Amino acid sequence: MKERVFRWLSRFPLHLVLIGAALVWLTPSVGLLVSSVRPYEAVIRTGWWTVLAHPFDFSQYTLQNYREILLTQGMAQAFRNSLLITIPSTIIPIGIAAFAAYAFAWMEFPGRQVIFAIVVGLLVVPLQMTLIPLLRAYNRLGLAGSYVGIWLAHTGYGLPFAVYLLRNFFGALPRDLFESAYLDGASELTAFFRLALPLSVPALASLAIFQFLWVWNDLLVALIYLGGTEEVAPLTLKLSSLINSLGQNWHLLTAAAFISMALPLVVFFSLQRYFVRGILAGSVKG
Amino acid sequence: MLRKGYWIGLSAILIVGLLLTACAPKTVTVTVEVPVERTVEVPVERTVEVTVPAPKGAITVLGVWGGDERVAFQDAVAPFSEQTGIGVAFEGTRDLAAVLTTRVEAGNPPDIAILPNPGQLYELAEAGHLVPLDSFLDVNQIAADYGQSWVDLASYDGHLYGIFYKVAIKSLVWYNPKAFEAAGYEVPTTWDELIALSDQIVADGGTPWCIGLESGPASGWPGTDWIEDIMLRTAGPEVYDQWVRHEIPWTDPAVKTAWETFGQIVRNDDYVWGGTTGALSTNFGDSPAPMFDDPPGCYMHRQASFITGFFPEGLVAGEDYDFFPLPPIDPQWGTPALIAGDVVVMLNDTPEVRQFVEYLAGPEPQEIWAGLGGFISANKNVSLDAYPDDLTRKMAQAITTAEVARFDGSDLMPAAVGAGSFWSGVLDYVGGTDLDTVLEEIEATAVDAYGQ
Repeated sequence: MKERVFRWLSRFPLHLVLIGAALVWLTPSVGLLVSSVRPYEAVIRTGWWTVLAHPFDFSQYTLQNYREILLTQGMAQAFRNSLLITIPSTIIPIGIAAFAAYAFAWMEFPGRQVIFAIVVGLLVVPLQMTLIPLLRAYNRLGLAGSYVGIWLAHTGYGLPFAVYLLRNFFGALPRDLFESAYLDGASELTAFFRLALPLSVPALASLAIFQFLWVWNDLLVALIYLGGTEEVAPLTLKLSSLINSLGQNWHLLTAAAFISMALPLVVFFSLQRYFVRGILAGSVKG
Repeated sequence: MLRKGYWIGLSAILIVGLLLTACAPKTVTVTVEVPVERTVEVPVERTVEVTVPAPKGAITVLGVWGGDERVAFQDAVAPFSEQTGIGVAFEGTRDLAAVLTTRVEAGNPPDIAILPNPGQLYELAEAGHLVPLDSFLDVNQIAADYGQSWVDLASYDGHLYGIFYKVAIKSLVWYNPKAFEAAGYEVPTTWDELIALSDQIVADGGTPWCIGLESGPASGWPGTDWIEDIMLRTAGPEVYDQWVRHEIPWTDPAVKTAWETFGQIVRNDDYVWGGTTGALSTNFGDSPAPMFDDPPGCYMHRQASFITGFFPEGLVAGEDYDFFPLPPIDPQWGTPALIAGDVVVMLNDTPEVRQFVEYLAGPEPQEIWAGLGGFISANKNVSLDAYPDDLTRKMAQAITTAEVARFDGSDLMPAAVGAGSFWSGVLDYVGGTDLDTVLEEIEATAVDAYGQ
């Protein structure tokens, strides 16, 4: 009993710091959430923290902002467009990056380090630099305004980081594992599919989340390569077009942020268990 | 077991991906010309499938409008599509400059662009990307519809390149008539009366002005409007033009006087709701709200006609809010109007686009939009009856009949000044920096920016 109390006390400062950090981290999001359920008249007059004075007075909350956004014409279409852009733009780069990363990590071929250095070097190229030349090429190829075009664009922008992350992960897998597989007669392809990939689920999952979020939240790339017409515009474009040219109706964006956050949250929590699982648990049996 | 499951999962994902690749883009990609030899080989069913849904042939319009503006614009052009069968596809983004530049450089500009100020019009016209409108529009008709100053503003090198569309008048002071009546205040007609009224309000324990300068990355612009408005009233339109073209330096006494006059109001903590801190940290759109509180947080708010879009809902134009023109300071310059507006330009020359520009310039679509609210036309032949209320009518009349009208100067200056050091200079000045220092800093950037 005494010991427990002592342990609790000795950990108390640590917990306090952690809780404090979490609170600070969450404050902006909480503020956004509170603002999204307050009426415009209140938002422009007082800060969101004023609701804390009497948080259970429910008459000060309203779902009007959410209603207004969800009932906007074409919202379902925009949601569908977003999925249509995001899912392939997540799968394609991860697929390519996995193959590339395996080759960089475990296959011997001339110029391997140089090519890898170039790929990693591409990380620092700002994507804005590529907009004009790439769009010009797309116009030639007839890819401007097509989904294929934007999938390829997102694939290109996502690949350097994906290859870098996966190569490091693959490279950290125990060499013995691959050697014993080769000794047993496994080909490179078998080693990739049966060893490297299953062991890298945590890395693949975190990469999938990164890429998914980046594409889902993207506004610029879609605006440039796809255009902002109703038929193709993703959710981000649709939401930004709710705002008038001088920013009238900005209060709708508070609710819009939570609406567009919904799906990424689902993706995150459904992939989250892969992080927790022990990375190499049970891979090498005696 | 687990590995097998993973295998199946991966292949399922890949298959889904391939399916999506295969079926999704059909409608969009294929409309681009197929080489002639190939079209011969393509089976008949396919070519049919390809041509069906493509909304190509539709006129593409890129603009800054969003929300109800976007809806209203679509309503305004609906009769055109009905009559001609030509579709209009509108794309809106508030980051117009970046997107338009990219599209133009990459070789697929939109047919029509709606620019938020004429600065970019001059740049595009100089680079040869714009179609001169006087090559096909009836110049006499344009002269009859639009005031000369609007035509001049949209012209470059002797050619007309744009039509001013959704315009705004900035020299307005908004007030709450009910609050004025309750306190027994009169609408001032001269600058001295305005200052006397401000002092009176302070003496009565109130706050005369609501000022909000925050506007994200564009913070400071509401202050530039103040200074421009004052400059027109203290130095007159000629000096104003010289200042905008940087023919007089920022350290010129005329410029300094305008800043000081603004400073008398904004740097006086008794005059401004929340003091200088309030002015610096309040968003321009939120800032007029205290005017409608009971008791009023402030009594007056100088802002452009579009500010009504930010007012709390449920207020009645003319009853809950009204405006008076910013009063004259030096009687010889009278009450000039500071104006701004979005301008329609044409980037692709096709018969359909010409037809569309002709339609847009005429009164019909502008009357439709005027009826929906939030719109003021620069076209003199747009009937005043089209506006939804007397207040908007009054503003529209002020714009089309103003004797002296000048465009928002910061929109005409090079971006490094007009959308850079002028904005930040206002914030520094309001924050307490010495005026000479501020003006010297702006002058330094102006020398660079205009020198090119």
